[in-house]
Amino acid sequence: MMTWWETLRLALDAIVAHRVRSILTTLGITIGIAAVTLSVGMAQGATASISSEIGSLGSNLLTVQAGYFSHDGGQPMDPSTMPTLSMEDAEALSDPTIAPDIAAAAPAIQSGFELAARDTSIGTQAEATTPAWLAVQSRTLAVGEFFTPEQYDDGAAVVVLGSNSASQLFGDPGAAVGQTVTANSTSLLVIGVLEQSGGMMSTDDLAVIPLTTYRDRLSWGEEPIGAIYLQATSADRLTQAHQEAAALLAGRRGAATSEEAGIMIVSQQSLVQAMEQVTNVLTLLLGGIAAISLVVGGIGVMNIMLVSVQERVREIGLRKALGARRRTILAQFLTEAAMLALVGGALGLALSAGVAWLVTTLAEFPVPVSLPTVLLALGVSAAIGLVAGSYPASRASRLAPIDALRRE
Amino acid sequence: MTATTPDLAAGPGASEALPVLQLRGIWKTYSTGTVHVHALRGVDLDVHAGEYVAIMGPSGSGKSTLMNVIGCLDVPTAGQYVLDGEDVAHLSDNALADIRNQRIGFVFQQFNLLPTQSAWRNVELPLWYARVKASERKQRALDALARVGLAERAHHKPGELSGGQQQRVAIARALVTDPALILADEPTGNLDSISTADVLGLLDELHAAGRTIVLITHEAEVAARAQRVVHVFDGGIAGIDEKAATP
Repeated sequence: MMTWWETLRLALDAIVAHRVRSILTTLGITIGIAAVTLSVGMAQGATASISSEIGSLGSNLLTVQAGYFSHDGGQPMDPSTMPTLSMEDAEALSDPTIAPDIAAAAPAIQSGFELAARDTSIGTQAEATTPAWLAVQSRTLAVGEFFTPEQYDDGAAVVVLGSNSASQLFGDPGAAVGQTVTANSTSLLVIGVLEQSGGMMSTDDLAVIPLTTYRDRLSWGEEPIGAIYLQATSADRLTQAHQEAAALLAGRRGAATSEEAGIMIVSQQSLVQAMEQVTNVLTLLLGGIAAISLVVGGIGVMNIMLVSVQERVREIGLRKALGARRRTILAQFLTEAAMLALVGGALGLALSAGVAWLVTTLAEFPVPVSLPTVLLALGVSAAIGLVAGSYPASRASRLAPIDALRRE
Repeated sequence: MTATTPDLAAGPGASEALPVLQLRGIWKTYSTGTVHVHALRGVDLDVHAGEYVAIMGPSGSGKSTLMNVIGCLDVPTAGQYVLDGEDVAHLSDNALADIRNQRIGFVFQQFNLLPTQSAWRNVELPLWYARVKASERKQRALDALARVGLAERAHHKPGELSGGQQQRVAIARALVTDPALILADEPTGNLDSISTADVLGLLDELHAAGRTIVLITHEAEVAARAQRVVHVFDGGIAGIDEKAATP
């Protein structure tokens, strides 16, 4: 039996002897491995940015909403019996004696605004809310001030803009403060611009105004509260805060549970978890498609190894005549196939590292290629080579030396 | 078929040493479905140490089948074959591979050198399969090449050598394991007259040095170099020409 080193040298000789063919064969594996590592890397990058989102969203945020969901298969609800939220709900929720784990509550009415500056106008999302909103949403101001409780009580004609809205209207967010915007022919003074929220669930297209102002000047009729944002005292009190809010709101409506009362309480974490599930499915999908290309690459290796065995029938015959045992021939061709696939896998990793670097620098989207991925990719490509090579190798090893030598 | 030489009738342990090659009643039948073709019909043959025997016959005579059986490349359907003191007629694949490796040196019509490997790499090939250490392999390969007069061509690839030189490399490869038998299958079939003389001269030298050689050919001039010519016809031995007295 030859030593492993000699077997490797022999395989390398055969691969180098058919350079072009070897390169074309490995291309399938190269593309397959690159596709798998890149799609896994992208999914990991997406998951990582979603995880960092948890922090930026404020992990102690709960959103209370009423209405539009039913458990009986989407029967249209009667508007008069539609569950609603009220200012009183918000006040009760912010009472520390009733709900000790809720630090603050900010009721809000959301609507679409047409905001006009001197020469531009934009459509933006508006939040009519209380001064507590800033802290509850864990937002900060880039320039200017948020509206004060006094301004809130007075129903002052002021607005705080999201950074996108501010730059769309005034070019530079810094230039917005002190300017006037018009919404439904009501003039509002820009008193502050929010810091960019960043991340994927960003809310930078935004105009925040006092709820009182909205009700006095901008709304027609008595619009109900759309949502109440709750801030738990800390991230680990979130579950308790959730339960307290649910019990309180159900109790105020004489219902056993908040679901029965038509109240839904969502944490940002549950949204993040839902998004993570989506990315997991995406990972599987992308990875699966990429894995198919790997299988195709493996079939390519098998094909080429069959051709190689066919071409080298005389060589195999000679080796057997000179004393090579069946296992030696088997090992020779298996090693060759595994080495082809392994070289393809290594090239694929190099390719994906290059593409990952490009995507990370150009698109500023992190595509990590981790060590476990690298090792897994190499292991998988070697395994593909062994599986794809086993049939051709066993055919080679079973050739009878005379038949093999006779073949012209 | 009766081709038994008188001294072998005495059997092993007689005054003569045991023959290198002893075939008794060798049959080889190829069956495809209901058709049975008898390529060999009970061949008896002995070759003694140091003998130079040519096996001659037209194509279809069974000489190639006989060569395959002698070379342990094929197993006979019936009969007894003792090679260098070992009964090899019914060995396993692996055991036959070892026998070929250790006891037989092959020389083929097509040379069968690996085109990507240098001369000495080709010559050391049987030693790989004999599990010989790398350093010893190289030394023995170079020695064998020197033996056939190609010491200075050790690092040339087959494509850089003439046909005669390539066959010399192949002969060096056959010698490198120091086998009991050198089996040459039409060794000059692919060579011009000058190279033919060259290669046959080398075989003569090896014979003079005491090697046992069995040469298969269909050319009378080539067969004429041997001590003894065995004529094969229709699966049997049709006659034996003795050029000189058997030792």
